[in-house]
Amino acid sequence: MVTTKKGWYVGRKNNNKLNRTLLKVKSDTELKFGLIGLSLLVFVAVFASLLVPFDPYFFGPDVLNKLGENQHILGTNHLGQDIFSMILYGVRTSLMVAVGSALISAVIGILVGGIAGYFGGKIDLVITECINAFMMVPTFFLILLIIALFDSSITNVMIVIGLTTWPSNAKLIRAQALSIRERTYVKSAVAMGETNLQILFKYIIPNGIFPVLANTTIGMSNAILTEAGLSFLGLGDPNVISWGQMIFMGKQYLTSAWWISTFAGIAIVFTVTVFYLLGDGLNHVLDPKHKSRKDA
Amino acid sequence: MKKYVTKRVLMGVLTIFVVFSINFLIIRLAPGSPISTIMGKDNDDPILRAALEAKYGFDQPLILQYFIYLKNAVTGDLGLSIIYNKEVLAIIAERLVPTLLLVLTAALLAVVIGTFMGMYAAKHEGSRVDVFFSGISYIFNSMPAFWLGLILIIIFSSVFGLLPSYGMISSRTTLTGVDYYLDVLKHMILPVSTLVLVEIPIYFRIAKSSIVQTLNEDFIVTLKATGMSERKIFNKYVLRNAILPTITIFGISMGYLITGVALIEIVFAWPGTGDLMLTAINQRDYPTLMGIYLIMSVSVALVMVIVDIIYATLDPRIRF
Repeated sequence: MVTTKKGWYVGRKNNNKLNRTLLKVKSDTELKFGLIGLSLLVFVAVFASLLVPFDPYFFGPDVLNKLGENQHILGTNHLGQDIFSMILYGVRTSLMVAVGSALISAVIGILVGGIAGYFGGKIDLVITECINAFMMVPTFFLILLIIALFDSSITNVMIVIGLTTWPSNAKLIRAQALSIRERTYVKSAVAMGETNLQILFKYIIPNGIFPVLANTTIGMSNAILTEAGLSFLGLGDPNVISWGQMIFMGKQYLTSAWWISTFAGIAIVFTVTVFYLLGDGLNHVLDPKHKSRKDA
Repeated sequence: MKKYVTKRVLMGVLTIFVVFSINFLIIRLAPGSPISTIMGKDNDDPILRAALEAKYGFDQPLILQYFIYLKNAVTGDLGLSIIYNKEVLAIIAERLVPTLLLVLTAALLAVVIGTFMGMYAAKHEGSRVDVFFSGISYIFNSMPAFWLGLILIIIFSSVFGLLPSYGMISSRTTLTGVDYYLDVLKHMILPVSTLVLVEIPIYFRIAKSSIVQTLNEDFIVTLKATGMSERKIFNKYVLRNAILPTITIFGISMGYLITGVALIEIVFAWPGTGDLMLTAINQRDYPTLMGIYLIMSVSVALVMVIVDIIYATLDPRIRF
């Protein structure tokens, strides 16, 4: 809807827009499932400490219990930790990494891309070339290198993922800014004497943010996969419970205790799917082209 | 066309330059100095320190150090591995062939299978097969490849005992000729399947969406109106237009494969660069780690530039 918005009704007719958006949410299967899944994940993350049957940090006497043995629904690992409880706590870690890195990536991307698109000219040229160069750098390896050399705390993982994934966001918002700055309402704002900074934050970024939103949810799934990959290489934060680390630990007991790795992986697949569904759903809802194709 | 190629090549060079700079920056910012490593823990002789710093150029200003580093890297000198005490480049070169074997096989299989699945789903949009393919592609797209590898090991090696779960050749056997290649092939099945399974969704989705999009274009409707057969329209016009995005994706996903294969190699103990990387991480062998990163980045940039040029030759709209 961004593309048809005229300057004079920014901030008005909000009700109407909200209704239309809600209608679209209802009609899009991907978004619907994504939202249901997300609510479930958030619920588990918030109430994890109440939902767990055992303390996931407790190294109990029940070592390598099978499924259902001694009331451990999904068994235990080699240290006697309850797998089901660990998985519930893992939601927190995954969501934290996803949201934290996505926020960093979005803020940097929006600022860099917004500035490039709005100012144009030489600034744009330099920034765009830098973005293109950055996009060709293999991100996972860079993240791995930094984490291996510096420190593998979960905060650090979050920051590094955020710092290395912003170029795609920057590219999206730049394209938006390029078209928005030609709109009448931006031109009139210039005529009214608003400063560049004001225009950037009041008109360009708020109106061009939607594609970044969809991209960010997809970035969140990638962040979860990246964290899992790092943990699998033994570069995870030993102080938190993470699904990647569970897979890493379970690898040694693959033949004798398959449940350690298997269920942690299923949790990752579920969470990542939820974010992919959200991203695709948002893309459908926000992209007017998609709708018209379905109607045709 | 010439202008475009020059531009892309320059872009690739710039990327490699960026990679070098990041690499240099990381080395400099990382905790611990290589001089202290060479000198050992208990030795703190200032004369020796100064001599070593002069030998390795650490007494030069940072900018100069950067150029020395750049010069060395360009001439192929990536330093010595701390663990193996051999040239990093030589160590990596040894491991490159098994890695490329996996990457290329998987990439080709994935692009063929994924595109055909996408074509079928696009032709029969909304059918049961389409829904099944789309659903399953979501799930496989969300899978950590290394986990899928572990699950395949559980199923095919552990439960059924059908396929070998680690290495490239059977240990304790000396096979020659055809038997040797068959043995390698057998060891390749699981790692390649893992890579193919996680790569298929990418090609499936891009092929399906671009074919569906092309089918809705006005010129296809016009061709239909002229009475041309559906099959001819599809093979001659739809496919030609719809296959282009697949080429771009191929470049991007090759980049992903080149780095992503590392985790798969670790799962299957495949003697490639990924395996080398894990040892380097565990032993804190930073020169080797840096070397792998550089080689990977350069190959990714190379692949992307080549793919872009191929794309430009195929799509006349790009040439300017």
